[in-house]
Amino acid sequence: MFELLFKYPPAAFTKGELVWLAPWPFAWAAAGLLLAAALLAGQIGRQAQRLTRPRRLALWLLQAAFLALLLLVVRQPALSVTTLKPRQNIVAVLLDDSRSMAVREAAGLRIEQARAVLRNGLLDSLGARFQVRLYRFGDRLTRIEKPEEAAGQAQATHIGQALSALAAEAAGLPLGAVVLLSDGADTRGGVGREVIEQLRARRLPVHTLGFGRERFERDVEMGRIELPARALPGDRLTALVAVRQNGYRGARVRLAVREGGKTLASREIRLAGPEQTEWLSFAAGAAGPHRLEFLLEPLAGEENARNNALARLLQVEDLKPRLLYMEGEPRWEFKFIRRAVEEDPALRLVTLLRTTENKLYRQGIADPKELEQGFPASAEELFAFRGLILGSLESGYFTAAQQELIRQFADRRGGGVLWLGGRRALAEGGWSRPPLADPLPAILPAGKQTFHRDRARVRLTPAGADSLICRLEESPEANLERWRKLPALADYQEAGEPKPGAVVLAELDTPEGRRLPLLVTQNYGRGRTALFATGGSWRWQMLQEPADQSHEIFWRQLLRWLVNGAPGQVSGSTPAPVLEDDSRAMLRAEVRDKAFLPLADARVEARILGPEGLSETVELRPQAGEPGLFQAEWTAGRPGAYSAEIAARRGEQEIGRDLVLFRREDGVAEDFRAEQNRELLRALAEQTGGRYWRPAEADRLAREISYSEAGIGVREMLELWDMPFVFLLALALRSSEWLLRRAWGAV
Amino acid sequence: MRPRVFIGALLGIGLLAFQGRFRGFRGEVDNDDAPFPPDGNEKTEFVFARLRYPSVRFAWGFRGNWATDYWKADRQFVQGVRRLTRIHVRSVEQVVDLDSDEIYNWPWVYAVEVGHWDLTDAQCRRLRDYLLRGGFLMVDDFHGTWEWENFMASLSRVFPDRPVVDLDSKDPIFHVLYDLDERFQVPGIQYWYSGRIYEKDGIEPRWRAVYDDKGRIMVAICHNMDLGDAWEWADHPRYPEPYASLAYRIGINYIIYAMTH
Repeated sequence: MFELLFKYPPAAFTKGELVWLAPWPFAWAAAGLLLAAALLAGQIGRQAQRLTRPRRLALWLLQAAFLALLLLVVRQPALSVTTLKPRQNIVAVLLDDSRSMAVREAAGLRIEQARAVLRNGLLDSLGARFQVRLYRFGDRLTRIEKPEEAAGQAQATHIGQALSALAAEAAGLPLGAVVLLSDGADTRGGVGREVIEQLRARRLPVHTLGFGRERFERDVEMGRIELPARALPGDRLTALVAVRQNGYRGARVRLAVREGGKTLASREIRLAGPEQTEWLSFAAGAAGPHRLEFLLEPLAGEENARNNALARLLQVEDLKPRLLYMEGEPRWEFKFIRRAVEEDPALRLVTLLRTTENKLYRQGIADPKELEQGFPASAEELFAFRGLILGSLESGYFTAAQQELIRQFADRRGGGVLWLGGRRALAEGGWSRPPLADPLPAILPAGKQTFHRDRARVRLTPAGADSLICRLEESPEANLERWRKLPALADYQEAGEPKPGAVVLAELDTPEGRRLPLLVTQNYGRGRTALFATGGSWRWQMLQEPADQSHEIFWRQLLRWLVNGAPGQVSGSTPAPVLEDDSRAMLRAEVRDKAFLPLADARVEARILGPEGLSETVELRPQAGEPGLFQAEWTAGRPGAYSAEIAARRGEQEIGRDLVLFRREDGVAEDFRAEQNRELLRALAEQTGGRYWRPAEADRLAREISYSEAGIGVREMLELWDMPFVFLLALALRSSEWLLRRAWGAV
Repeated sequence: MRPRVFIGALLGIGLLAFQGRFRGFRGEVDNDDAPFPPDGNEKTEFVFARLRYPSVRFAWGFRGNWATDYWKADRQFVQGVRRLTRIHVRSVEQVVDLDSDEIYNWPWVYAVEVGHWDLTDAQCRRLRDYLLRGGFLMVDDFHGTWEWENFMASLSRVFPDRPVVDLDSKDPIFHVLYDLDERFQVPGIQYWYSGRIYEKDGIEPRWRAVYDDKGRIMVAICHNMDLGDAWEWADHPRYPEPYASLAYRIGINYIIYAMTH
């Protein structure tokens, strides 16, 4: 229809430039138009005096418009457009050969539909005007002779990589346009900006033909999984799992996490909306690398069951983080915390107890010299610990330098600091003064007498109900009930106002009916801080059956949280622990000295072990502007599990080492988001000057593709004065005037 | 052991056939006319809890053995604890028994003259629970073979499967505050008039214990010594200071051990 009215395809208008072929200037035409319009106005005024003013105005407008149209036609408008020279240009046809193209649609497999489009006219029509080069692509680009050589078997879809390879291959060739047949299910999530810039620099239009449904009718898909990369042996972990669905609203499905065929945890969930986030808790297991498979059990009638499972890596570190607990007076809380942690194989608690004015009792020390002088006075000594607990002792017990060290313990070292309540703790101990007021997660009350030896009951907040620290029972309901039944605390302390950004996990109800924060946590600097405003949780142990583990579980989880994420001197990481159809692994290491100041002059190497006995050493380079940060990119040549042991040295002295796990998995992402990604195909076409086409429109593609500035082109003038639309418009203007005159009796 | 108790025991030694279970506690308290200290109701971290228990007694017997030295020993001892440590201590003791769950609120309990105790099965079960939850029991002032056997008669029903072991001098309980490698027998006040350090056939002082599965002392047993008397008579000019001093140091170490292990 467009071409019927406007003589040329839309591409001619979008790519062409409007020019006027008549030699006389536009000012003359404008002056003539104004003069004619004035004359017409006078004439209508004389001839149609019987008509009202608005009607005369309407007739004048129609006549003036007709006159303006005539003047435009006389000026000979035309489109100046570059078209590809016939037979001298190459058009590349790229056929998506990935596994998602083998998804069955109502009219057959996507790949079959694409091949049919090529066979049934598109290749011929393109071949009539251009030289055609046919390619298939998945994770790489391959030239083929016939469409049948693409069968929908490639393990990944890398559209950007394919276009980039094509541009490189055709660097010296007259490539005029690209035709891309695909479902757009790119496994890297899109086409990079650099590829678009590369195509735009060559003015190379990409015309995209989209195949497949944009939404499966019945499908459940595993989405993003949030899981810490590291854990301690035996940690309770919670994974947050995004679940997507179409056509199963209200259905129930089992969500499970497995390792090596063994189910670690599972729960039934109810599918509520298009996407929802669910949790799954499980035990981290023993030290070592773990490949965890998160799985949604396939439902009856599911169209794509291959997107129901995803794997993630978990590194359970063979560590026994040390925590230092400084207590100002003998008290029961101290004893029972020690007992709770003593049985935790993953934590080591070192305690300093002020038994008398002049004596400290040390427990858990590594050697008789450790902490011989009391609380550490140097960063090197204090920062050797990953967690710090401060009990019932006044802030003035510490020197100004020690107070600053405590602040920096969280801020710079990245450790965790926990303040307990007590008769000399928090506000009673003068902790509301700088610099120690800063890392505290609450603004302490200004006055004293905040510590009360009265019993107080505990309740979880919604954040606490979700927190792993407070998870005494697996089921949320049972957990709340267990907390509700906990014996009252022996004492409590007013902790003041939680700071913005802090999270209150538990509150307490005082005998007077006040509700106060009990357990408050926050992130601080590179670390984390918390306060537990009581010294009386020991009643949870003494007032419950000997077999009850509430007290032990709570304290172990709280202290594990405190040290989790506290880095060592060498802290390795990778932004993508699972390389999905990708071989580029990025390794990073933060290197610090014993005082946790960035070390810029270290030598950092990663020894990488991989599949089939691979062993390779890579040097990590310091990053400009980021002291202490080292980085390297490395290519994982084969699918499988890799481990990179990153070691940092300074001269002959080793600073530390860390282990980073990653895994290359090919062909997995192809099963996810397998619907047609029309948005991607449309955006790619629009950004490069091409167009998105439906398969049914393919017969027009060959003609329209000619309007391209890439390749060998010729400048054409496409005259517009004889467009059918112009004559229809002129006719419409005149006939409208005539009909109005008839109606108003002014003929 | 108080002198009148000692004499009473001698007079009644031939009347063992009348031995029976004595359950009454009324009127058995020493010093019950003492003034109540003004800070006696202070809420503190530590309270000296004294265990009230039923005794194996003569049918017409005296006051219960649990109350021996009560309250003077308790209050005089905690004054030392206050002065010598940072423990926040109440000036007045707390009497607890094994007949209710109230005992679980007092993680440290002292029992005297346990050579005469006679716990019921329910009390044994509660005491076992108490100790397994983390409670600590210090027993003192019982002497010789007969009292040991009587003590064990109840303790073996509390822990049928746990041995009583002699404490090594290297055990932390003897070093947690004071180093107590050099220990000696601490006599009761009877030493003043008898000149004898030991009582009955309890010539050798024994520091013994029952451990839990993690190697922590649950029951600290002071056999053939009378620390309670040493606390009680520490202010008496005739009672030798070294005994009182050692008794205080042992008691304080036991408390700090109980609060740290």
